[in-house]
Formats: sequence, structure tokens, C-alpha cells
Amino acid sequence: MDVLLAAVNLAACLPGPTTGNGQGVVITLYGFSIMKEPLEKAIFPAFAAKWRAEHGVNVSFITSFAGSETVTNQILQGAPADVAILAIERDADKLVQGGATKDDWRSRPNGGIVNKTPFIILVRKDDPKQISDFPDLGKPGIQIIHPDPTSSGGAQWSILAIYGSELEKSQAKTGTQDPARAQNLLASIWRNVISTPGSAREARTGFETGYGDALITYELEGLSMKQAGDPIDIVVPKATIYSEHPAVMIDRNMSAEKRSVVEAFVDYLWSDEAQQAFVKYHFRSVTNETFNDANPEFAKIEMPFTVQLFGGWDKAYPDIIQNIFVNQVKSK
Amino acid sequence: MSANVSGVKHTRGFDVIKPLSIGVMVAVMLPLVLLPLASIFIFGTSKGLPSFWHALVEPEAIFALKLSFVTSFWATLFNIIFGLFAAYILSRYTFWGRNAIIVIISIPTAIPTAVAGFALLLLWGPYGLLGRFLPLDMQIMFTPYAIILANIFVTFPLAFGVIMPVLETMSRSLEEASATMGASRWQTFWHVTLPSLRGAIVGGALLTFARAVGEFGSTILVSGNLAGRTQTAPLYIFSKFNEGQVEAANAVAIVLALFSFVIFSVLFFARDWLEAD
Repeated sequence: MDVLLAAVNLAACLPGPTTGNGQGVVITLYGFSIMKEPLEKAIFPAFAAKWRAEHGVNVSFITSFAGSETVTNQILQGAPADVAILAIERDADKLVQGGATKDDWRSRPNGGIVNKTPFIILVRKDDPKQISDFPDLGKPGIQIIHPDPTSSGGAQWSILAIYGSELEKSQAKTGTQDPARAQNLLASIWRNVISTPGSAREARTGFETGYGDALITYELEGLSMKQAGDPIDIVVPKATIYSEHPAVMIDRNMSAEKRSVVEAFVDYLWSDEAQQAFVKYHFRSVTNETFNDANPEFAKIEMPFTVQLFGGWDKAYPDIIQNIFVNQVKSK
Repeated sequence: MSANVSGVKHTRGFDVIKPLSIGVMVAVMLPLVLLPLASIFIFGTSKGLPSFWHALVEPEAIFALKLSFVTSFWATLFNIIFGLFAAYILSRYTFWGRNAIIVIISIPTAIPTAVAGFALLLLWGPYGLLGRFLPLDMQIMFTPYAIILANIFVTFPLAFGVIMPVLETMSRSLEEASATMGASRWQTFWHVTLPSLRGAIVGGALLTFARAVGEFGSTILVSGNLAGRTQTAPLYIFSKFNEGQVEAANAVAIVLALFSFVIFSVLFFARDWLEAD
């Protein structure tokens, strides 16, 4: 293959890669859509500098970003990833079950979760449709852009956020969770969805282009849009979920030499340096709450919850996404 | 009275139908083709030419354009040679299964390009029918070769489709004369048949190349979409659009739009030269 490649290069100047040309170690990272900025702007350069200083070896990164489920399926089909950072734990488990990796990713700090961010509602500047919490999204006449749960992990978090918020509120009010209320809210909101893009980032682009009155998304998307000066407001729901994002090393076909660098990189994601970089790019740290307190942009959430409310992803996916959303809400 | 109907233009000295029909044609084209194209240029240059240029000279953007052109070049070269070969055989010989082959060559026209992409993955992917037998360092999928394969598949019928009708309608008398004068089969093909196919070959090549450069659906599945590695220009546009970097996406889109404008201008204005005998 190398001889053929050389021949093609000579004959028609097949462009050489823009990064990692020949020397040093190249790490290929596949990430879900919103991970791009903190990695490319802060964490890659910092890790490369650190590794060069400590070992005298150049490390460079090549990347591909898409919806979490899309990334997972690409890797299962054989895409040459060394590391994957995914929107949901279920995708990490799929990579292990599909034989792409033997990585015991849950054994890393915080159960393999590198960062988190709560789900919030983005509305147009000054909230013209008066949306103050999830139930307002189910009112007639509201148009919502919502990523597609079959390709986007963010979309699945959003569904859990809506459904779980009603469980939490009914629990606080009456002492028991009310699944019927939760399902009704989910159904009324889904009726208002006008478009289902493939990833959270695509949904944001659609919303920025002017479609829809509201977008349920990661808090960091709202914060980075505000930073860019977009005319939007962030509505913080009373009860909402923290999405938690796992990192997995893809060790199928990995040489021992490369493995040591990749392992060091994955561990680096939990270092104070990397965690503070995540905070700078609007993710919340999982290792140190004082990092988060230092960022005044982060919203205070009255009733936060995690996927543990549903008993973890092993239960949340079949019970809520599959059984309630796909089989009952979406099919109507 | 009725005799005058066809003579309206002569009596008034002005044919209303001409400007009217031209107007209708342009009015139909405006929202369907012209305005969408114009919006690429408007948004691509809305932040000024320096920012357009800046978006264009990004290493990843340049790489994506280069990769598109190089992979399309190889796919075009292959499809022209094969299209010529197949058209020659199919127009000269009748044999059992001939029509089936003509139909099969045309099939990729109607296959969604995403289907072409995953068909290639199912065949050549690391777990595919044939791909599983390839050693790790010889895998084809998720490399530039996969993009060439995908381009060959989706543009397969184009060159053949342009060359075949010309060959079929070509007068045999010149070829027969050449043979009578003692030329070998190869000499006849090289000096008589090929020159009269010049127009069809160049036209087929430009069409194939233009189509391959714009290919998206199959490429995104087989290439892995790695920026600076296996990301072609259409994939770059798609990724930048998804990231919300609409100017970066538009800068490359403008290059592709200008490129296809050039290709089809060449096709149009060189027609006389190409079709000369």
C-alpha cells in the first residue's frame, strides 16, 4: 500500500496530510459534535507541549466530529479512531460490545466521565414567546428544533431532561413520581418539533439561521452563542439533567508504543489543566466543583438530576428512549 | 383575419412572444437556480473579501479542495478508459448478456449515493465481505483510495453514456476504408475511430470530473471525514456549516461553484472544436 501511495503521490500530488506528517505520534480522535472547541483550542496544544517537554516526542491530533451515535457507528464500521469522546455512556458500551475496544473505561476517574453540562432552553432575545420552563414548550404555536435521537446523544439527553423534570417536580409536590404527566409533557413538546437535525451542533446552526422559537441543548452551546454575540437568551429549567460525557480509548489495532501516549492523553483529560480548559469553554468540571464556582456564567439549577434518576443508561435507554419516546410518543 | 395570426410579428415588426418567453424562462430560473447560487456568493463575501480569502487559505480548506480534485482526477481517468473500452466492445459486438451489461453500467445513476457508500463499506470495510481478508496496513476504507472508489462508482455511467451513442451512430465507412487499405485493427482504432470520438471523450471526462468533485453522500460514509486527511471539499463545507462557520463553508462553496461554471463554459464554447471531424 505504501508503494502504491507513493506512486499516486508522485503522479498527481495527492495532498499530504495537514497534520502529523511522518514524525512523532498521531492520535486520531472522534468526538461528538460539541467537543471540538475545548479540544482543538486548548487541550490538544497543551497536551502536545507537555508531552514534547517530558518525552521529546511530537504528538499531533487528527479529528472528526459528528453526532455521538454517528461517531460510534463509524468506529464500529472500522474508522481508524484511537480515542472517542461521546455524548452518552451507552455509545461507549456499544464500542466495547462491538469489539472495537477492550478498554475498561469505567475504571478511570468519575466512572470514565470527563465533563458535564446541564440541559437548558435557548430562546430568541427577550423571550418573545414567554418560555420559562419545559411545560411552556408544549404550548400550541411554539416551534422547536430538536436533534434526532437516532443519531444524536444530545437529543437523548434532551428527552431525558424533559421527562425527568416532570418526575422530579411531581416527586417534590406529591411525594411520588408521575410517569403519566412526564409522558404527556414529552408528547406535547414533540408535537411542536419542526425539524430533527443529525447532531446538537447541527440543531444549533439551524436555530442560528433563524428557524424555531426554542432549542433544548447543552448549556455550553448557549454560553458560546452568547459569547459570539448571538441574539438569544438562556432559559434555565427548574429541574433539568446534567449530561455526562465518557472518553474511551479504542485499542483495537493499537501498537504498544502508541498505547502509552494515548493512555497518557486520556488520563490527561482529568488533570486540573484539562478540567479548567473545559470550564473555560463552558463545560463543567467533574473533578473539582470550585472550578465551576469560579465561572459566574454557569446557571444555578434548582433541582438538578442525572441519568441515575432512571437507574443509569442501562435502564434509561430501553425504558425512556425506546419504550416511551420511540414506541409511544414518536409513533403517534 | 385568421391568416394574419401567424403574421403578427411581420405586421407589427415586433415579436411579443420572444421577450415574453425569455422573461418567463428567466423568472422560473431565478428562484430555482440563480438566487440560491447568488446567496452563496452574497454570504461568502458578506464579511469582505479579506475574510473570504482568509477562510479559503485555511490549510484544511486547501487540503480539502486538493483532495477533491486529485481523487476526482483518478476516478475520471479510470472511467474514461473503461467507458471507452466498454462502449467500443458493446457497440461492435453482439453477444448474450449485452443488454444486461448496458443496464448494469447505468444503474449507479439511480442509486442514492449514500447506498453506494455503505455498499462499498459492506464490501471493503474492515469487517466487509472482502475487506476482512485484507491485512491491517492495506485497508482501503477510510483512506483517499476509498474516495476514489466511491467516485468511480457514482460516476460510472457518465463517460460511457456520452461515448456510447456517438460510437453507435458513427459511420462505419471510414473504418472499413481504413481496413481495406491494410490498417490493423489497432491502427484503425487509433487513427480513425479515436479522433472522431474526441468530443465525446472530452465531454465525458469533464462531466465525470465535475460530478466527482461535488460528490458527498458516498464520500462521507467511506472516507471517515477526518479533517486534513480524508475530508473532501463537499465534506469540509458540510462540517463547517454544522459548526456554524457559514463563511468558511461558503468560501469553499464559491470555489466549487466557479469551478463548475468554468467546466460547463469549456464544454459549451469548445463544442465546435470538439465536434469537428
